[in-house]
Amino acid sequence: MTLTAMIVKMSEGLGRTCAIFFLTLLFSLPLGLLVALMRMSKNRVVSAITSACISILRGTPLMLQLIAVAYGPFYLFGYTLLVKEKLLAIIIAFSLNYAAYFAEIYRGGIESMPVGQYEAAHVLGYSKGQTFMRIILPQVVKRILPSVTNEVITLVKDTSMAFTLAYMEMFSIGKQIANSQSSFLPFVIAGVFYYLMNSIVAFAMSRCEKALSYYR
Amino acid sequence: MKKLLAAILVMMFALIACAGAEGTVFRMGIDAEYPPYSYMGDDGSYTGYDVEMCAKVCEILGWTQEVVPINWDTKLIQLDAEEMDCIWSGLTIDVIDPEAYTISMAYSDNSQMILTKKGSGIEKLDDVSGKRVGVQLGTSADILLSDGGDAAEFGASFGELVRYENYNIAFTELMAGAIDALAIDIGVANGKIAEYGEDYYCVAEPFAAEKYGICFRKADAEMCKQVEDAFMQLVEDGTYVSLAEKYGLDTANLCLAK
Repeated sequence: MTLTAMIVKMSEGLGRTCAIFFLTLLFSLPLGLLVALMRMSKNRVVSAITSACISILRGTPLMLQLIAVAYGPFYLFGYTLLVKEKLLAIIIAFSLNYAAYFAEIYRGGIESMPVGQYEAAHVLGYSKGQTFMRIILPQVVKRILPSVTNEVITLVKDTSMAFTLAYMEMFSIGKQIANSQSSFLPFVIAGVFYYLMNSIVAFAMSRCEKALSYYR
Repeated sequence: MKKLLAAILVMMFALIACAGAEGTVFRMGIDAEYPPYSYMGDDGSYTGYDVEMCAKVCEILGWTQEVVPINWDTKLIQLDAEEMDCIWSGLTIDVIDPEAYTISMAYSDNSQMILTKKGSGIEKLDDVSGKRVGVQLGTSADILLSDGGDAAEFGASFGELVRYENYNIAFTELMAGAIDALAIDIGVANGKIAEYGEDYYCVAEPFAAEKYGICFRKADAEMCKQVEDAFMQLVEDGTYVSLAEKYGLDTANLCLAK
């Protein structure tokens, strides 16, 4: 197999890698905010349940969660949709896992806001919802961006974990080529692919940071 | 946003619709990293002795073959979950529970060998004692040598049993001298020796003899019977042996040709 043939074959899997990446971000970023708000809820029950969930999602390997999401419902209830639609199972597992991490990042950002801002907003007649959406959240987003970038970069690399469910993304295909051709070249190609993707992510995120640095 | 959602929904329906093609589709589950039985060929499609035998069987039965690469560590779960109809990929049937699955006749002997490098000083099985030996995680060599396996005593005599994700990495470690030998199926061992040449050899005596077969779900005994019948036709017309030669398999292992 020539180098070009290897790159072409692995590029086929790159689409699946990107699908995991973008869909996970699409669902986990908003879900993370919701989870963060539930975690900070004044209702003790809601807050306790949420923090238990976060603790489980952060405390067990993603690989295990993938197996649990795909095969758990099948063994418990004979439910086969998640087995047949691999991408769906992967997106659910990835989104839940990443939402847990994002939630803690959001919480850190929200709790770092001085109480004085809430008081000032109250005096000016803002409702609680308006205070959060118009005053607090924009500042939070700005503050947490570097931590979010970290997670997003990790996500690019974590996509290779989809192999656990025999989902043929780029790295799984690379491993198969490596084995059949007894060559380490596919690993080099995979490394270049991941590095390029992450360079794009880092570039995009730094542009976002610049765009948001409107006070400087 | 609504347009995006609609697009995603349409794509999902299209996928589901595609899955419902006509005719019997026979989905064979393979370990796509297991040459020469099943692997990705130079043109990027799956090939190997098992894949091609299955293609011939499907031809006889008028089925459409679909190759499903699986995760070898979770192969039985995937079979239970109906991701594929069988596991057909150099599968050692000795380790499968016949109460829980339908198992075909054995189509090949599978001797478990010790593969080593010139200068390792390993000439017979006893010489392996105290050495570092590599295996691929979850393969029959691994199961046999681990606690509770049929060759556990032999495995316990090693200095260390090192488990790798695949034999490609294990073989690289052998070349680099990080381990002294590999415990490996004879077919895979011969493939590696053919590729890397003179410096590598197998200890003449196997440490275990096992059999390869095809594993189906318990309920699919009828399907198993059909595949076996078609397979026997291929044994009779010589395809069974000629394909083995094509993939460099040791024809002495072809138990159905005897």
